[in-house]
Amino acid sequence: MTEVLKIENLHKSFGDLNVLNGIDLSVAKGDTIVILGASGSGKSTLLRCVNFMEIPSSGRIVLQGKPVGTEKADGINYPEKELTGLRARVGMVFQHFNLFPHMNVKQNVMEGPRTVLKCNQAECARRAEEYLDKVGLGWKAEAFPSQLSGGQQQRVAIARALAMEPEIMLFDEATSALDPELVGEVLETMKELADEGMTMLIVTHELGFAYTVADRVLFLADGKILEQGDPEKVLIHPQQEGTKNFLRGHGSFRLPEPVLD
Amino acid sequence: MQAGSFIVGYEWDFSVVFRDFDLLLLGLVNTLKVTGLALLFGIPLGLLLALLRLYGNAVLRIPASFLIEFLRTTPPIAQLFWFFFAMPILLGVEIDPFEASVLTFSLQSSAFFAEVFRGGILSIDNGQWEAAKAIGMNRNDTLRRVILPQAVKRMIPAFLERAIELMKTTTLVSTISYADLLYQANTIAQSTYRSLEVFTVAAAMYFVVIFICSLAVQRLEHHLGRTGELTKG
Repeated sequence: MTEVLKIENLHKSFGDLNVLNGIDLSVAKGDTIVILGASGSGKSTLLRCVNFMEIPSSGRIVLQGKPVGTEKADGINYPEKELTGLRARVGMVFQHFNLFPHMNVKQNVMEGPRTVLKCNQAECARRAEEYLDKVGLGWKAEAFPSQLSGGQQQRVAIARALAMEPEIMLFDEATSALDPELVGEVLETMKELADEGMTMLIVTHELGFAYTVADRVLFLADGKILEQGDPEKVLIHPQQEGTKNFLRGHGSFRLPEPVLD
Repeated sequence: MQAGSFIVGYEWDFSVVFRDFDLLLLGLVNTLKVTGLALLFGIPLGLLLALLRLYGNAVLRIPASFLIEFLRTTPPIAQLFWFFFAMPILLGVEIDPFEASVLTFSLQSSAFFAEVFRGGILSIDNGQWEAAKAIGMNRNDTLRRVILPQAVKRMIPAFLERAIELMKTTTLVSTISYADLLYQANTIAQSTYRSLEVFTVAAAMYFVVIFICSLAVQRLEHHLGRTGELTKG
């Protein structure tokens, strides 16, 4: 098993606020890891440190065996050029899609390959076609984002990230801004990616998705991993009080099984 | 009242205006020349100043901010006089009214355009920066490909407003004897004693040009809006 990503003793603080207090994590190729936790537990910040949308306060991120940044006496130095190069290898999908509204769907997907990877026109077009087909939106290539539903916009955002052919994908509450009836199509797309062997770190509140798709579930509290393991262990037989409380809160109201058929 | 009866009894005579209409047209061309060149130089310079103010280090940011504020808070006519009468003494160079006019209004409008650009850039949702950053785009590419195209579309009404303001302010060049529309009108009025007709026609000429420009920009806006590109994604 090749290790794609390793996080060592990661700390992140904003001023006096300590958001991450020592996270250690190893992610193997093809892993699908779901990160759970109450709001403020640091799960989004953890994702954002992996692709350096936020610069870690201390600790180390190792991608494909190579530590990011240069060790200096007073900590690790992160040259901006290295970080842009790294972000091109790590895909990220946001809660609020953030498509480029002045470009059509195809141009949105081609923008990274074109501007960052300097692919030629044919290669850009090939990637746009391939990844839009993968998310089932090849037929919307000429549409503008404002003409799409939220679910479709999020799938385009996924295609845009995939077009960079990233080594790992990060999903930061990718379905939280969607109307309930649109959540399924995005989760379905994410599940297909997981099944195809994409390495994924997913922050979500969809426990059913976590149970079905995750290889491993992490439960974060106060910027630390409180509990982790396979979905059965963490979601059905949690050991820690914090995890139990969180799951109780989520499971207060349920449909009886037959309704779900 | 005396004044009232004077106006009632006034006999309009536009013939003098139309006899010298080519002079007015020449004035209009000169007005458009100064306005056009001031836009041509002022807009890129404004963008540069805005970028320096937003993203420059202290050595670039502070002078850029100072220049913008200075140009915005001093009277345009004082700037014009400074470039026409004072600067030649300081630098020992000759400058004609046309050059002084273009120089003054390029700089002056660049300060206003800088603020329009800055406002437009800051109005773009931070999520756009994040999305571009997440696919590995650097700041320059993000500005060029993602932020500015959206910002410029939003800035069109403010651009138009500034351009109209600029064209009206260029009437100040008549004070340094540059033959713009107002200067020509004044010259004709003085030689024909037909101030009422001459200045009415001159005002109408300003109105027509500015009104046509407004309509053109409105159409452009409408067109951009229809393609769905103006709406937020």
